[in-house]
Amino acid sequence: MAAQPKALPLEVPSYLEGGLLGWLTTVDHKRVAVLYAISTLLFMAIGGIEAMLLRLQLWSPENHFISASLYNQLFTMHGTTMIFLVVMPMEVGFFGNFFMPIQIGARDVAFPRLNAMSFWIFLAGAIFLHLGWLWGLLPNAGWFGYANLTERYFSPGLNLDFWVVGLLILGVSTLMGGLNFFVTIIAMRAKGMSYLRMPMFTWMILVTSILILIAFPPLTVGLVFLLLDRFFDTHFYVSLFGATPILWQHLFWLFGHPEVYIMILPAFGFISEILPVYARKPLFGYPMMVYATIMIAFLSYGVWGHHMFATGMGPVADSAFAITSMLIAIPTGIKIFSWLATVWGGSLRMTTSLYFALAMLLEFTIGGLSGVMFAAAPVDLQQTDTYFVVAHFHYVLFGGSMFAILAALYYWWPKITGRMLSERLGKIEFWFTIIGFNGTFLPMHFLGMWGMPRRIYTYGAGLGWTHLNQFETVCAFILGLSFLILYYNLIMSTLIGEKATADPWDGRSLEWSIASPPPAYNFAHSPVVRSRDAFWAMKYGRAGSRGVAMFMAGQIPAVPESQQAIPTEPIHMPAPSIYPVLIALSLMMMGSGLVIGEWRIIIIGVAALIASVVAMAFEYPTYGQDTHEIEEAEASSGGIDLRKAGLWAFLGSECVFFASLIATYVVYKSRNIGGPGAGILEIPLTSISTFALLMSSLAMVLALNAIQRNKKNLMRLWLGITIMLGLVFLGVEAYEFAHFYREGLSMQTDLFGQSFFTLVGFHGFHVSIGVLWLTTVWFASFSDKFDKSRALSVELGGLYWHFVDIVWVIIFTLVYLMQQVKGA
Amino acid sequence: MSEVTQTAGVLEPHGRVAEAEAHHPGAVIYVIVAAFLAVLTAMEITVFYVPALKAVVVPVLLVLAAAKFALIALFFMHLKYDSWVLSAFFLFGLLIAFVLLFAMMMLFAYLTHHRD
Repeated sequence: MAAQPKALPLEVPSYLEGGLLGWLTTVDHKRVAVLYAISTLLFMAIGGIEAMLLRLQLWSPENHFISASLYNQLFTMHGTTMIFLVVMPMEVGFFGNFFMPIQIGARDVAFPRLNAMSFWIFLAGAIFLHLGWLWGLLPNAGWFGYANLTERYFSPGLNLDFWVVGLLILGVSTLMGGLNFFVTIIAMRAKGMSYLRMPMFTWMILVTSILILIAFPPLTVGLVFLLLDRFFDTHFYVSLFGATPILWQHLFWLFGHPEVYIMILPAFGFISEILPVYARKPLFGYPMMVYATIMIAFLSYGVWGHHMFATGMGPVADSAFAITSMLIAIPTGIKIFSWLATVWGGSLRMTTSLYFALAMLLEFTIGGLSGVMFAAAPVDLQQTDTYFVVAHFHYVLFGGSMFAILAALYYWWPKITGRMLSERLGKIEFWFTIIGFNGTFLPMHFLGMWGMPRRIYTYGAGLGWTHLNQFETVCAFILGLSFLILYYNLIMSTLIGEKATADPWDGRSLEWSIASPPPAYNFAHSPVVRSRDAFWAMKYGRAGSRGVAMFMAGQIPAVPESQQAIPTEPIHMPAPSIYPVLIALSLMMMGSGLVIGEWRIIIIGVAALIASVVAMAFEYPTYGQDTHEIEEAEASSGGIDLRKAGLWAFLGSECVFFASLIATYVVYKSRNIGGPGAGILEIPLTSISTFALLMSSLAMVLALNAIQRNKKNLMRLWLGITIMLGLVFLGVEAYEFAHFYREGLSMQTDLFGQSFFTLVGFHGFHVSIGVLWLTTVWFASFSDKFDKSRALSVELGGLYWHFVDIVWVIIFTLVYLMQQVKGA
Repeated sequence: MSEVTQTAGVLEPHGRVAEAEAHHPGAVIYVIVAAFLAVLTAMEITVFYVPALKAVVVPVLLVLAAAKFALIALFFMHLKYDSWVLSAFFLFGLLIAFVLLFAMMMLFAYLTHHRD
C-alpha cells in the first residue's frame, strides 16, 4: 500500500462508544448507519443463500431438489430481499446516513429522531417480510407481485399478506429517509458549500431522495389496493368485475423504474468519489455529471412503460416510452465517459476499492447496453420474461450497484471502524467475484435468447440448456465464496485489523478531515468550504495541483488548524429517544393483527402508535432553555426552517399519492358495471361539509395570526373552532358513507364504490390526522413556555390542514360536481 | 447569528421564525380570501345545477377549482410570502402529480377504446 499521510492529531471519543441502551435509543446518524450496515449485511447473506438454492435447483433438468412451491418463494424473497433490504438500504441507509452529513459539514441529519425511526421501521418491515418462514409461507408471486396472481382467489395463503404489509411498512421507512436526506442537503450544508461544490455522492443522495419522494407514493397506492382486495373483498385488479390487472403494473412500474435509479444513482456517487481519490485527479466534467444526474432522474419517471410493452399499450404509448428509454442512455453515457476521463492519465493506486470501481464501469456498461435493447419494443417482445432479462438486470444491479457497494466498502471502511481491511484478501475476493459474477450471469444472455423463460422451476432435458445451467451454478458458488471472503475480512478487520489514520487514501472530501472513527459530533468546529474537493483544497491549497507532486515526494500535507482542534466548549447534540423503537413496534403489531385477522391486536397497535407519536411531541419539555450559538446552520439554508422545508417536501410527495388515487377513480368510474354509480352522490349535503372545511382553513390562519401576536387565548379559540369544523366535516362524511351503505353502495359493490370510498376515505383519514395534530397543539398551548416563539408549531399544523383542504377542493370538483362526466 | 436549541431532535434557529412571520398577511386579508373561497364554491354549485352550462361544465369547474386551490396555497399556506424554494418543493410534486394523472388517463383511454 502507498505511503499514508500522517494521522490527524485528534484524540476524541469515537461515536462507537456506548452500551446497548445507547444503541437502541440512538439518533446519531453514524450509529443509525451502522445499524443499517449490520442489518443489510445479514439480509445480504440470506438473499445470497436463497440464490444458491435456486441455482442448485436449476443444476439439472427435471430436478426435484426443492419443490416448485418453495422455488417460487425463494425467487420472490431473493428479489424482494436484495432490492428492498440490501441494495437500497445499504446505499442510502448505510452509506448515505454515515457520509452525506459529514460530506456537507453537518453534525447530524435534519431530523435525527425521524432518521432513527426510519431504521427501526425498516427493520420491522424486514422482519415482517420474513415472518412467513415460521409457517413455511414466504411470499411467492415474484418481487413485482403481478396482479391478479396476487388476489386471494389465486394466492389464498398468508404468503402474500406478509409481502403486502411488509412492503407497506418498508415504504414508510424509505419515505422518511428520503424526506430527511432531502431537507438535510438543502438546508444544512456548511458555510460556502454551494450546490456546485457538493461532493458528487451527496448530489446522488439528493437526487435519489427526490426520486424516493415521487416514486414511492404510487407503490403505496398499488399496495393499498392489493391489501383491500385481499382483506376487504374489493376488486381493484379483478377483470371479472370490470377492473384491470394492468392498473397494478402501471402503479408498480411507476415506482419500479425510478427504483432502478434509486439503486444505481448512489452507486454512481460511490464511483465518483473513489476514482478521483485513487487517480489523484479531480472528477472530470463535474457540472456535466450533475446535469446528467438530474436528466436521468427526470427521464426515469417517464420510462416505466418499457416494462409493459407486452401488455399492449398501443403504438403511441410504446413509441413514447421507447424514445424516453433510449434517451436515458445519453446522460448515462456522459457519466461513463467522464469516469473514464477521470482515470485517464491519472496516477493510479491499484487498491481493492479501485479494482471494484473499474470493474463496475465495465459490468454496468454491459448491463446498460442490453438495457438499450429493451427500449426497442419489437426486440423487447422477444426477450421479455426470458433469462436475457435476468442477465440484464443482474449486470445493472450486481455489476453496477453491488460492485460499487463493494468498492465503497473498501474505501470507507477505515473511516467507519477506524481499522483497515486486508488488501490481500480484498484482491482475492475481487477475482472470485469477477469470475463468479460473469460466469453466472453472462451465459444467461444466451439461455434467454435460446428461449429459456425466467421464473421456471425446472426444464426439460432435451432443450439444450443443461450445460450452461450447470456452469452458472458452479460460478454462482464461486460468487458465494467471494462473499464469504468479504465477511471474513470484515470480521477480522473489526477484531484485529490494522488501525486506520484519519486520511488513509489522501482523500478529497470532508469526511477525511476528521478522526477515524469520527467523534459523535463529527466536527469540533464547523468547516468553511472554499472550493469543490473541500479537504483537498485545505491540504494542498485551493488549486490543489501541488497535491500529487507532494504525495509522490512523500511529503506530509499540512493539516488545517481548524480540523485539528478539539472542542473548546460543550457541543449540543440531539438527545436519544426510545420512541422510534416503540413506533416501529406499534406498526409491526398493527401489521401482525391484520395478517392474522385479530382486530384487538390492530386496535392496540393503533393506540400504541398514537400514544408514542403524541408522547414524542412532548419529549423535550426543556425546550428553549438549553441554548448555544451556532453559525453553521445559517450557512446555506437560505433562512428556511428545516421543519417547514420537510413538511413542504412531504406535501409535494402527498400530491403524487393523491394523484394515484384520483387517477384510479377517474379510470374506474368509466368502467363501472352495475351498482348505483356516481348518481348517488348528494351535492347539498357535501356542499355543507365543503363549506365547513373551507372555513376551518380561515379559522386556522386566524389562530396562527393570533399566536404570532402572542394572543394565546385567541389562538386557542380559533384553533378550537378549526378542530370543531374538522369534526363537522368528518361527521358529515361518516353520515354520507352510512347513507350510501344503506342505499346499497359499499366498497364491494362495484368499481365506482371501491375507488370512491378509497379516495374519499383516504382524504378523511388525512383530516383525522389533522384533527389529532391540531388537538395536540391545542393541549400543548396550555404550557407556560408556549408563546410567540412556538408560532411555527401552529403554522406547521396549519400547513398540513390547508393541504387537506386543497385536496378536498379537487375531490369535490372531480368526484361530486363532475359526477355526470364520463371518466377516462 | 441566531440561537439554537434542541427540540424534537431538530436544530432550530429561532431567529428565522420572527423573520418569516413579519411577511405574513393580516387577518383582514385572510377574511377576504375566505370570502372569495365561499363565492367561488357557490359558483361551482350553481354551475352544477344550471342545465344551460352543461356544455362548458368541465372547463368552468376546473378553472374555479384551480382558483380556489391557488388562493389557499398562496395566502393561507403563505407560498406568496415564503421562500420560493418551498414553492418549488410543492410545485414539483404537483407537476409530477399532473403528469401521472394525465398519462394514466391517456393510457387507459386507449385500453378502453381498444378492448375489443
